[in-house]
Amino acid sequence: MELIPADQFTMQELTELYNQTRVDYLVPMPMSADRLSEYVRDFNVDLHHSTIARSADGEVLGLSMLGFRNQIAWITRLGVLPSTRRTGAGSALMDSMLENAAKLNATEIHLEVIKNNEPAYKLFVKKGFVETGTYLVMRHAPQPRTLPLRQGDAVLLDADAALKKLETYPGHLTWINARASMQNMPNTEGVRLELSNGASGWLVYQNVKLKLRSSLSHLIMHTERGNAEQVGLQLLTHLHTLYLHCDTYAENISETDPHLPAFRALGYFTNFSRIEMRRK
Amino acid sequence: MAKILYIEDIQDNITLVEKIVKSRGHEFLFAQDADTGLALASASMPDLILLDLGLPDADGQTLSVWLKGDETLSSIPIIVLTAWPEEVVRQTVSAYNLNGYLCKPFKLIDLVNLIDSVLGAKTA
Repeated sequence: MELIPADQFTMQELTELYNQTRVDYLVPMPMSADRLSEYVRDFNVDLHHSTIARSADGEVLGLSMLGFRNQIAWITRLGVLPSTRRTGAGSALMDSMLENAAKLNATEIHLEVIKNNEPAYKLFVKKGFVETGTYLVMRHAPQPRTLPLRQGDAVLLDADAALKKLETYPGHLTWINARASMQNMPNTEGVRLELSNGASGWLVYQNVKLKLRSSLSHLIMHTERGNAEQVGLQLLTHLHTLYLHCDTYAENISETDPHLPAFRALGYFTNFSRIEMRRK
Repeated sequence: MAKILYIEDIQDNITLVEKIVKSRGHEFLFAQDADTGLALASASMPDLILLDLGLPDADGQTLSVWLKGDETLSSIPIIVLTAWPEEVVRQTVSAYNLNGYLCKPFKLIDLVNLIDSVLGAKTA
């Protein structure tokens, strides 16, 4: 088996290979070349240290990508073609990621695996990764008639102000929602809210400009003072009043996030869960 | 005869559904991403849209919001055809106010019956 740096392939070739590896995935999520390019930009994917596996006769078997920043590496997009699974390609790709992370002097390596993807989970455990948290991927369809009444004084935050708020976030954000990722993305915005009872908090998100319309994603919420469920409910109410007709994709909300009841009260529902794993 | 638009990225699925739809005497159109699907829906005004949730540019949920948000397209019924887990699909169809779903792999007769049912409800 040959392991080749991914930067020797075009973005279109990488996209086609990625989509082929995910054709029978638990949660089908194909990408276009444009979306994969954005993914590489937003999450600091290092294509030179990302890897394509190829058989001795030239057949492409799978790929894996490596993000890197601040001495932490992140393994993502790992996939093997359905016809070539159980041939050791996944293990070889993982070993390549671990070697490349070491070359970059990474002090820690992170990854995420979809809950119930047992083969991948077992592979990651075998390679020394341990679970560090479970995160929900949730959706919200526009429901203009069912929003609660807005309360409190809301101030919109531009990208700079929103990123400053993220610097104060006291908990852990996964790679997907980390401040550096939100800084890389082009449409970071936020809302800060103060309620009449003194409670306050903020919500930072992406107002994703797609070719024809926009949608909301990457929601990160923090309650500075007061009850998290109450503040969360009002922050989401302000957001969805502001963007009444937008679809919303909230990735990697921790299953211990105190705002989860607010998400559910507003009609958010879970699409799937991800397990975050790390290796020192 | 109805005009049916299928928005799906995988060619094998398109080929299979095309055979079923045409065998029932319907006109068949398809698009392989959300942008093309929205443009084709506007240009052709189909009687029914069959929608995959996993699309390469914007996903099926987001596309359904765009379709429902367009005054000229909002009344077109949408049936979801997807490999997502059934409970998630059921919640999605309810939350996004769509008209039905089938989880892949599905029986061909179930697709025929669902199309007939939704088209029948539309004309009733």
